[in-house]
Amino acid sequence: MTSTIALPQNRTIHRRILNNGITVLVIENPSADIIAARLFLKAGTRWESREKSGLSHLLSAVLTKGTERLSSLDIAERVESIGASLGTDAASDYFLLSLKTVSSDFADMLSLAAELMRSPTFPEAEVELEQRLTLQAIRSQQEQPFTVAFDQLRQAMYGQHPYALSGLGTEETVSQLTRQDLQEYYETHFRPDNLVISIAGRITPDEAVALVEESFGDWSAGSKQRPILNFPAITGQSNGTSPTEHRVTTPQETQQSIVMLGYLAPSLQADGAMTDYVALKLLNTYLGNGLSSRLFVELREKRGLAYEVSAFYPTRLNTSHFVTYMGTAPVNTAIALDGLKTEIDRLQTTPLTSEELQTAKNKLLGQYALGKQTNSQLAQIFGWYETLELGVEFDTRFQEEVAAVTAETAQSAALRCFGTAYISLLGPASLIGE
Amino acid sequence: MNFIRTSQSTLSLPATPLKLANKLTLIHQYIPGCGVAAVDVWVKAGSIREIDQWSGMAHFLEHMIFKGTNRILPGQFDYAIEGRGGMTNAATSYDYAHYFMTLAAPDLVDTLPYLAELLLHAAIPDEEFVREREVVFEEIYQTYDSPDCLAFQALIEGVYQRHPYGRPILGTEELLMQRSPSEMRAFHRAHYQPENMTVVLVGDMDQDEAIALVERSFRDFPSPGDCPQHEAEAEPPMTDIRRQELRLPRLEQARLMMAWMGPGIDPLMQEKRDDVLPWNRFSPEQHLDPIKDACGLDLLSATLAEGRTSRLVQELREERQLVQEVSSGFSLQQESSLFTITAWLDAENLERVEALICDRFSHLITARINESELERSKRLLCNDHAFSTETPSQIAGLYGYYHTLADLETAIAYPQWIKEFTTEDLQNLASQYLSPYRYAAVVVKPL
Repeated sequence: MTSTIALPQNRTIHRRILNNGITVLVIENPSADIIAARLFLKAGTRWESREKSGLSHLLSAVLTKGTERLSSLDIAERVESIGASLGTDAASDYFLLSLKTVSSDFADMLSLAAELMRSPTFPEAEVELEQRLTLQAIRSQQEQPFTVAFDQLRQAMYGQHPYALSGLGTEETVSQLTRQDLQEYYETHFRPDNLVISIAGRITPDEAVALVEESFGDWSAGSKQRPILNFPAITGQSNGTSPTEHRVTTPQETQQSIVMLGYLAPSLQADGAMTDYVALKLLNTYLGNGLSSRLFVELREKRGLAYEVSAFYPTRLNTSHFVTYMGTAPVNTAIALDGLKTEIDRLQTTPLTSEELQTAKNKLLGQYALGKQTNSQLAQIFGWYETLELGVEFDTRFQEEVAAVTAETAQSAALRCFGTAYISLLGPASLIGE
Repeated sequence: MNFIRTSQSTLSLPATPLKLANKLTLIHQYIPGCGVAAVDVWVKAGSIREIDQWSGMAHFLEHMIFKGTNRILPGQFDYAIEGRGGMTNAATSYDYAHYFMTLAAPDLVDTLPYLAELLLHAAIPDEEFVREREVVFEEIYQTYDSPDCLAFQALIEGVYQRHPYGRPILGTEELLMQRSPSEMRAFHRAHYQPENMTVVLVGDMDQDEAIALVERSFRDFPSPGDCPQHEAEAEPPMTDIRRQELRLPRLEQARLMMAWMGPGIDPLMQEKRDDVLPWNRFSPEQHLDPIKDACGLDLLSATLAEGRTSRLVQELREERQLVQEVSSGFSLQQESSLFTITAWLDAENLERVEALICDRFSHLITARINESELERSKRLLCNDHAFSTETPSQIAGLYGYYHTLADLETAIAYPQWIKEFTTEDLQNLASQYLSPYRYAAVVVKPL
């Protein structure tokens, strides 16, 4: 079988760099009366120091709550009265402001977005409110077994690196954050030469660029230098008895245990080698993507061990992580972990058959194509590639690289990358080896 | 109430509903050039079709559908779809189960027959039944670790004390252990019949080809056979406040959930719907139009808790700062809809917040909302509708959902109907459905 999903719109991406350094991408797509925009800053939690973790998130919560001219309520009214959507998000590798409107409202919303980005005031009362709500959200995360298990896995993997923590930060750090911290972070990262604006929908490239010029064209960069990032080293380290294993556990009297097995995995840098990254993307699809994936078939279909069993390998600028996981009846905790290990080992010892390889490619490429249908998806993916400095050409390159993976390159990537095994278990104490 | 639904004779339907010779309904929409096709098959075989002792059967069957037939092996369908780069999945609710797939349009010809084969001829092998039951138990255990799932289940049990809407869709371990593969086969044959099924096909395939493909794939339905039928009992209206308290371990914040019963869609109207043109169905003299009420309750829900300027978010989260979050929801259900408010908050604020919410509900009844609030809610809902119809799979889902619960026209005319509401209409609806003296509530506190 060969994959035949190739969306017909071999879309042209218009790319323009304005005089003040803003990169504008426009994907014209007249199919619906909608325009989506994603405004990316090269910021995010990766740029936080350990003692200020949660800063990007707090800033994202307060950014929409006051400008020099508008109060929090004014801003919300501007958005909601026309039924638009406007949101902010602090991801690991970038900071994002997202917009979606019917086409006729787009100019208004883009100009509001410019006002938010250019003249936020971070009102003291709003900082306090969002800080308190964030602290509560951090505590609430403890209610979710998956989140607790993943948190401890991430901390074991990343140590002092910012990727160790969830974007919310910790109770200790968030309670210490101040309006001044927000202001400094803002002055450091919010500048036109650090901004990518990606627009998709029923709009021509000229119109889109003109609108950006109008709202952002006279924004000039401040004098503050962006810091040089200097990350603590991420080194795969074992703990306990086995030299190649790092195990962390949380005893909880849950109805289901959470079992995770993960590895540090290659980042994606513009100048870095792509081979292992692409091979692991393919192996991740093979193991964890969909109802016909290896883990689903072996551990759920054939053995009934789980309802949810999957794998993920996010694309990151620094060392990423390749994680397999499942939820299982507590009595099956050890069997489940063994099952995950067996499948990882198998990738190292047994090359994929040509049929397995081809099926995994079809899946990965087919779903990649299906992930570029809506205007929001289009604006997101190209803007993100631009922000990571991969360029919009990465869209094509990625697909070519996937097609070129062989059973040998996949197996050698598995051998190279699956070193120290990080294991996170959450469940009743007697069953997780406490 | 003087609200009348617009005549739909002027509204062009982008989708074509067709009744095939074997009584199967096909809804088709051609989107030339998009390259993709989505199929969503909706079956009126949700959990309300179960007798009490069979609770969980509809959902368990949805799992077993994927376990093959005499002609195709377990997993073969998933492989056929995903190996071509497509995606597939399924879901079960109270009123329906649905099965969907999206893939490159040219691949549909070779894959839709698999889905039809599964749906019509599921073998439900004994050994697969026993094995998959373990998977369903895992799904149940997962909900037992979720405070929100547990609280919601308690809430609907409070609202629906007789009607099957009060039962968990997943069933329970105890009840499922008592069921047999042959009972499931009986349930399957009885309900997976053409008159209960709607195939929605949206994407890059023209109508002639779509009809031919669906006719070729969905044929030779097995005979229905015998199956115990649930005699639905109408749920009597709530006459007071039904309160429950849950205490859960590892809880970091309390919950307050409140629910009101909304309109059901008149079963008589359902029977007649094929004989009556949609624009004649709701004549001005017909005062009861449940779909219209449902649209209005969507508007009230948005007015109360969608967005920072909505009444409850603004007051409870932003101004008084009593809640972490507050949300509102209206879910359309065949026999009785559900209007809910949920707040996540500190336990010490539970009583005060519930009292405030009741007081704000009284306001909805005694005074009209502002025109600007109405306008805002209309824009939000109309745009949400537009924003959720960008892809073939979204469109197919929307059509199937409304066709199964109400009618196809609702999916298309929804924005137009929303725009016709007045503040007076909403006041009347609030007084009809949202009484601060008659509702169900669940509070969840730490152990």
